[in-house]
Amino acid sequence: MHLELVTLDGVKFKADAYSVILPTADGEITVLPGHEPLLSELVPGVITIRRTKSDADYHLEHYAAYGGVLEISSKGVRILVDEATHGDEINLAEAQKAHDEAVRLTKDAKNQVELDRAQTLLERRGVRLQVAELRRRHSRQR
Amino acid sequence: MASRQQIKRRIGSVRNTRQITKAMQLVAASKLRHAQEAVVRPRAYAELAREILTRLRQIAADDSEYRLFTARPVKRRLLIIITSDLGLAGAYDANVIRAMIAQAQADRDKNIKTSVITIGRKAAQAASHINGIEVEAVYNKMPDKPSADDLRPILTSVVGLFADGAIDQVDIIYTKFISSISQQVQVQRLLPAGFDEVELDDELAHADVEPDAASLIKAATLRLLESQIYQGFLEAIASEQSMRMLAMKNATDNASDIIDDLTLEYNNARQAAITQELAEITGGAEALK
Repeated sequence: MHLELVTLDGVKFKADAYSVILPTADGEITVLPGHEPLLSELVPGVITIRRTKSDADYHLEHYAAYGGVLEISSKGVRILVDEATHGDEINLAEAQKAHDEAVRLTKDAKNQVELDRAQTLLERRGVRLQVAELRRRHSRQR
Repeated sequence: MASRQQIKRRIGSVRNTRQITKAMQLVAASKLRHAQEAVVRPRAYAELAREILTRLRQIAADDSEYRLFTARPVKRRLLIIITSDLGLAGAYDANVIRAMIAQAQADRDKNIKTSVITIGRKAAQAASHINGIEVEAVYNKMPDKPSADDLRPILTSVVGLFADGAIDQVDIIYTKFISSISQQVQVQRLLPAGFDEVELDDELAHADVEPDAASLIKAATLRLLESQIYQGFLEAIASEQSMRMLAMKNATDNASDIIDDLTLEYNNARQAAITQELAEITGGAEALK
């Protein structure tokens, strides 16, 4: 099936894929060829793309995404997210550090505004960390 | 006529100025290249958001009175003004500010209150000096390569104000980048959001919608607005850099002209002094005969 990943920074992925795992408002879904037409809201989380059926886990492509909209039709899957960061662009140590800092910010927040901001940051950095960890786990199996 | 020494000093100072404007021209040229590449990137996003939104509107015909789309009598209008932080960009800021004043004037004639959200120091300075414009928020020192995060606070507050009914219409004023020699100030409607009617294919008319049409419409609308603000901002950056480049190129050319004139004047003065000295020597020699 044809898969398009469109972000504010341009089209990040436009090719055929075998399956894609997406975080929707109602939980994580896996889309395989021949999926029912669907329009759905995406929440912050990891988008995982498997290009062909025979791909091993370490071939999977992970993107950290922070919410958007999904459209599935017989023409393919189109994903609209503000930003998507490819796993290769994320460094595990840095992601861990950024995540720890966000945790500290949530604890130190003095008012609601600061807390809201820190929580959004934490959520985003959590997703990045998740992507980095997935990559590490899969690369070990190689 | 100025003394030779004075002319020499002036040539030196103009030459220094030319060095600075030349450097600024080169910096602007390099930033322009990046900005020009960036300006086309969010187009696919905006198109897809608009497409999905149109589909949703047709599927969810019953919820069509979603409040971000509903036009209502305008009592208060919000303008988002995008200018630069720094000057020396030719008429770039002046053009945008002129458009802002014209819009505020038109509002006053219709008894509409105008508030503004300014991006860039120049707009903030201008807006605070104009009677009848209320400054809602000021955003200074935006990065040259903005991410969606930098603009999200603006989007959130605008949508919030509109949904609460505190404002009835939102427009964005920015400079559209047409080419590196042509830029144009644009006033674009943001809210109530418009959309195009397109043919809906049957298949998607029966698509599942999760979790429900209303929240999906909201998500898609926010994405569309976000892309419009983002696009406007990128266009503004590209326009700013190309106008700054042109302004600095003109300044450099003018400085070169002045240096030429001054050099000519200097040589004239020097030649005049030599001629005078010779005349005096020959005059003295004649007198001794």
